[in-house]
Amino acid sequence: MKNSDTGSFIVNFNLNGKDVKAEISASTLLLDLIRNTFNMKGTKPGCNEGECGACTVLINDVPVNSCLYLAANINGKTVTTIEGLSCNDGSLSAVQDSLVKNGAVQCGFCTSGMALCIKALMFEYENLVNSKLTGKKPKLTENDVKKWLEGNLCRCTGYVNIIKSALELINNVERKSG
Amino acid sequence: MNFELINPQSFKELFLVLKKLKHRKYRYAAGCTDILIELKRNPEDDLTLVNLSQINDFKFRGISQTKNSVRLGAGVTANDIVRNLNIKLLYPVLWEAAYNLASTQIRQVATIGGNICTASPSGDITCALVSLDATCVIIGVHGKREIRIRDFFEGPRQTALKKGELLYEIIIPGNKKNTVKLFSSFIKIGTRRSMECSVVSIAYHIQIDGFNKILTSGFAIGAVAPTIRFTAKACDFINRKNINALTERDAESFALKVSEYSDPISDIRATRWYREKVLFNLSKSIIEDIIKCQIEVK
Amino acid sequence: MNTDTKIIGTPVPKHDAGIRVTGKAVYGHDIVLPGMLHGAILRTKYPSATFTIDVSEAKKLPGVACVITADDIDTNNISFKRDHPVIKAGEVNCIRDEIAAVAAETKEIALTALSLIKVKYKKRKGVFDPFEALKPSAPKINKFSIGNFKNKNIAGEFHYEHGNLEKQKKRSKIILTRRFSLPRMTHACMATSNITAAYSQSDGKLLLYSSTQVPFLYQRDMAHALKMNPSDIRIIQPVIGGGFGSKLDMYPFEPICALLSIKTGKPVQILYSREEEFIASPTRQPMIIDLTAGIDSKGNFTFREVNVIKDNGAYTSWGATTPFVIMQAFSSLYKIPACYFHATAVYTNNVFAGSFRGYGNPQATFALERMIDMLADEIGMGKDEIRLINANEQGEITGQGLHYQTCGHRQCLESVIKSSKTKIRTTSNERYKKGIGFASMLHVGGGAKIYRSDGCGSIVKIDPYGFCTIITGANEIGQGSETVLAMIAAEELGIALNKIKVINSDTDIKPWDVGVHASRTSFVAGNSLLGAIKKLKNKLNAKARQLMNEPSADFIYESGYLFSNQTRSKIAIDKVVREMQFTEPNELAIAFYFYEPLSEFQDKEFKGNVSGTYAFASQSIEVEVDTYTGNVRVLNVHVAQDVGKVLNPLLLEGQIHGGVLQGLGYAICEELLMNSGMILNSNFHNYKIPTASDIPEIHFTPIETNDRHGPYGAKGVGEAPLIPTAAAITNAVCNALGIELLELPITPERVLRAINGKQTSRTKKNLTVRNGK
Ligand SMILES: Cc1cc2nc3c(=O)[nH]c(=O)nc-3n(C[C@H](O)[C@H](O)[C@H](O)COP(=O)(O)OP(=O)(O)OC[C@H]3O[C@@H](n4cnc5c(N)ncnc54)[C@H](O)[C@@H]3O)c2cc1C
Ligand code: FES
Ligand code: FES
Repeated sequence: MKNSDTGSFIVNFNLNGKDVKAEISASTLLLDLIRNTFNMKGTKPGCNEGECGACTVLINDVPVNSCLYLAANINGKTVTTIEGLSCNDGSLSAVQDSLVKNGAVQCGFCTSGMALCIKALMFEYENLVNSKLTGKKPKLTENDVKKWLEGNLCRCTGYVNIIKSALELINNVERKSG
Repeated sequence: MNFELINPQSFKELFLVLKKLKHRKYRYAAGCTDILIELKRNPEDDLTLVNLSQINDFKFRGISQTKNSVRLGAGVTANDIVRNLNIKLLYPVLWEAAYNLASTQIRQVATIGGNICTASPSGDITCALVSLDATCVIIGVHGKREIRIRDFFEGPRQTALKKGELLYEIIIPGNKKNTVKLFSSFIKIGTRRSMECSVVSIAYHIQIDGFNKILTSGFAIGAVAPTIRFTAKACDFINRKNINALTERDAESFALKVSEYSDPISDIRATRWYREKVLFNLSKSIIEDIIKCQIEVK
Repeated sequence: MNTDTKIIGTPVPKHDAGIRVTGKAVYGHDIVLPGMLHGAILRTKYPSATFTIDVSEAKKLPGVACVITADDIDTNNISFKRDHPVIKAGEVNCIRDEIAAVAAETKEIALTALSLIKVKYKKRKGVFDPFEALKPSAPKINKFSIGNFKNKNIAGEFHYEHGNLEKQKKRSKIILTRRFSLPRMTHACMATSNITAAYSQSDGKLLLYSSTQVPFLYQRDMAHALKMNPSDIRIIQPVIGGGFGSKLDMYPFEPICALLSIKTGKPVQILYSREEEFIASPTRQPMIIDLTAGIDSKGNFTFREVNVIKDNGAYTSWGATTPFVIMQAFSSLYKIPACYFHATAVYTNNVFAGSFRGYGNPQATFALERMIDMLADEIGMGKDEIRLINANEQGEITGQGLHYQTCGHRQCLESVIKSSKTKIRTTSNERYKKGIGFASMLHVGGGAKIYRSDGCGSIVKIDPYGFCTIITGANEIGQGSETVLAMIAAEELGIALNKIKVINSDTDIKPWDVGVHASRTSFVAGNSLLGAIKKLKNKLNAKARQLMNEPSADFIYESGYLFSNQTRSKIAIDKVVREMQFTEPNELAIAFYFYEPLSEFQDKEFKGNVSGTYAFASQSIEVEVDTYTGNVRVLNVHVAQDVGKVLNPLLLEGQIHGGVLQGLGYAICEELLMNSGMILNSNFHNYKIPTASDIPEIHFTPIETNDRHGPYGAKGVGEAPLIPTAAAITNAVCNALGIELLELPITPERVLRAINGKQTSRTKKNLTVRNGK
């Protein structure tokens, strides 16, 4: 996949449900690939140093800072950005809806990253429930949620309503898995 | 930030690449959470990054258990450790260090190889591995060698790796057969509660038998000296003691022995005074906590 | 005022949350214009130096469109005191100083071009301590500074007094003197500073996409800087990723971006990196506060004597006016028979301070609330009791002339005291110690008249389909003003929320407003909108009377209809509008209004009723301190705040949570560290803002005092929640440990030092006087 003449690479991956292809250079970061090449501006650059989580995307359903991720490593993987989180008909997904209803959005710059991280927590929790490793049903506490979100800074909301949102969503997963 | 990137898919390919790069400037990239930040801040000219994250090698990426050891590939991520219930059970200190490293997002990609080879005095996983007396397996164009992790660091950001070598695996010795109880934990102090690069860290792993005797122990301290240190004299001080016989005085003596290994700097995060004081207090608290348990036992 | 509201008082989610939660909101970082260039700024390497500069190599780099230095531009100085050159010529005075700028085809090329610029510096010694700067031997730091002060490095001075200080000193049983020291805190908005400028060479018009909080003042300032006509400058605000006061001033990068666009004739964008954001955005005012305060034998406060030295940094921002707010806290929070206040802003070669949520009040409140605890200890009274004795009252006119038409201070105090009573304090010899601390605050709650007008204009329009558009001067910076305005329109006009649009981001369209600051938006913009709606309703009512043939009817607006109060018959609002527009005498369903609060200008002695109303709040905070490490954990925060009336509990709660957490950061971990003018922690790794794990339990009780001047009785709420937090946390820590902390932030190291009896460096000059008897 490397083009030795130009020093560029071709990567093929799945972006929000669509197979895509892009030409990148060695030092292209996933954040820039998404924002500049694919022109999806919902993934936010907050620090470019892995500290704030605004640039979080899901790679194969786990949350990663796209500002510290080499685009060259995305080949063959699945990426979900905030644009891919909404439902197919464009309506708000459960995570988004819950953030809005709980007043968890103020300036909104952290919101994309928060939403994806919460989504990942829901995946993680579903996996835990399904894996039946421990025998008894796993329980997620408020502290677990806080810990999960430590890498997402928010300067406006004080996190309280974001955490409330996440807990509500987890409880829903819990109820469904009954 | 500008560099060449080579993405070997196997170790065979990797060694071919390394031979070709013999006279070039190259560095490895694993999870990239350290190196990209470094390169963003201080770009290096004519650098080639050898990407380890596409190498398909079961041992390099896996955790396996043998009769008397646990082997971790250098490509294992912090999150792989967090998900491993065996490690949580056998080596709480390592599990906690991994669980408290950076953030959820970083833990998905940050590797133990990167944590060790960055050779930061405040590397959390590394500190835990030093307390566990782990061994590094190094491979290179000239073959394989092993070195105790406590001897791996030659200074801040300096390791025993030679050109053409890389870290392949870490071997952690198994817990003693007659261990029935563990005091094993990772303490990390910073100014905030999370996402914190330690100002002082202590990793400890104490194995106790059915008669409350300390069979063996390992203590390592981070961020208080140019490299992470194993505090052998402090370990010797409590090894083979019965925990029921430990006293407040022992806690102080122990803490003094730990402190002998520290030689902290003052920087923007904390002064030397603070680091020394906290190291002493926390070392003391470990023994105090054990003493509290002895009362519970009674 | 109408009390049984349908929408006001309900938890309506943010009007514009939908776009923000789907990634569709367009922030400054997301703007891409055709042919857009990328700008970058070269800053000095040293905080104080003279220099020569050579940009010839940079100009040659392919892809570079334009390089500018001070020689290439013709601008006026900017800033509150016009003491700040846009690009510095030959001399730099702080580490954020701009010395050249580049526009290039890509950001990378622009940065490479910066590295090709050759600068020869001649370092100077620099003055980094305001006390040093006040010495006669110090050099004059800002050569553009004007004003008639006794010292060349004074940037501003404020003096205020009321009552008879000497008499009160004699009455005092205890007099304490303490020096408090407050750090530089920075806003750390999640979106870094940004601007996109597009100049049209054909018609000389400049379009700016700018995140300012004060678009109309900004337009005027920009025009002054560039020597343009203000009306040739159009400002459009993209979605703003955090403000908190940081965008109250215009900074050099903004006219620089405009200049790059003017020179190239192409759109130019400047985005700060995070490091640049830490270095080159303003900070909260660092201060040294010397406070002497007294108390009589019954526990009544007698006087406060205050001397404040503010480190202004190299230039003067709006933040220079923070003493307005600081003196207000000292003169009027709790009953104070006498107050002497003096504040001096001093130039140094440090980065300059700006305005930050709370505007000087967190600093003042820290000093005075810490002092109250110490007075209580000295006189042997409870920390709750002493506060209740001295609490402000409704109807009070303070020494400074603030008129408390409504005042919830006592209720706030009683509320938080009661909620924290249930908690027990452990005082055993354990490693972990708990403590409780109290603090209150007073802040303007109905704007603040510090500019010629504190007003806001609104236009409200209903279209033939029954949708309503609000065009307001007030902008949205994340705090939720759009939502509150939409709620007011929905309430008053009976139009569903999803049929209400708010236009607030374009200076070519919207009517004048002074800007987002002083917690004023809901109060001032709300009243303004109510005024416009009233006028519009008069028009609609007249038409409806005619259409329904009920000449003396009044109407109730509900669910898209006007209901006659006489016959209960109804007519659809869109129908009324259509009839107005399309039948003679063909009138638009549109009305406008300009609201100017009843507040007064303060006189030369700073006396006068400066705000439409005043907000009060109290907090009681429970902490746990690890005496082994000095780490402080904030466990519970009880907040009671006089909000006048709750307009939207969901948004209100959000303001409280966010404010408290910023206050917590101010208290325990945030400080922009400087050494000889250099910033030492210009990243999130070393400048720590609280994360999700740091949050305490926050228990909020709104106190409704229904101020008759506020919209539905409401007062401003935005700044209050962070103002008393740091004071209450520090009080709690001191109470837990029996130590005296006079300096923020109370980092683990400072706490551990205090536990070990080691005084920290900057606090000295502390005195206790006991008057015999
Ligand atoms: C926001 C943030 C927070 C952080 N918090 C913590 C923390 O709490 N605790 C902590 O300990 N660290 C922390 N770190 C540092 C970092 O995440 C860890 O050190 C991580 O384990 C590095 O792993 P990596 O795979 O990303 O390394 P990389 O960045 O890929 O590599 C790091 C270095 O090791 C070398 N290297 C990597 N693998 C090998 C190998 N197999 N053989 C030889 N050399 C190799 C590389 O050449 C490079 O020099 C943090 C980093 C960030 C950005
Ligand atoms: S932008 Fe990636 S973590 Fe901040
Ligand atoms: S909502 Fe503004 S940063 Fe989170």
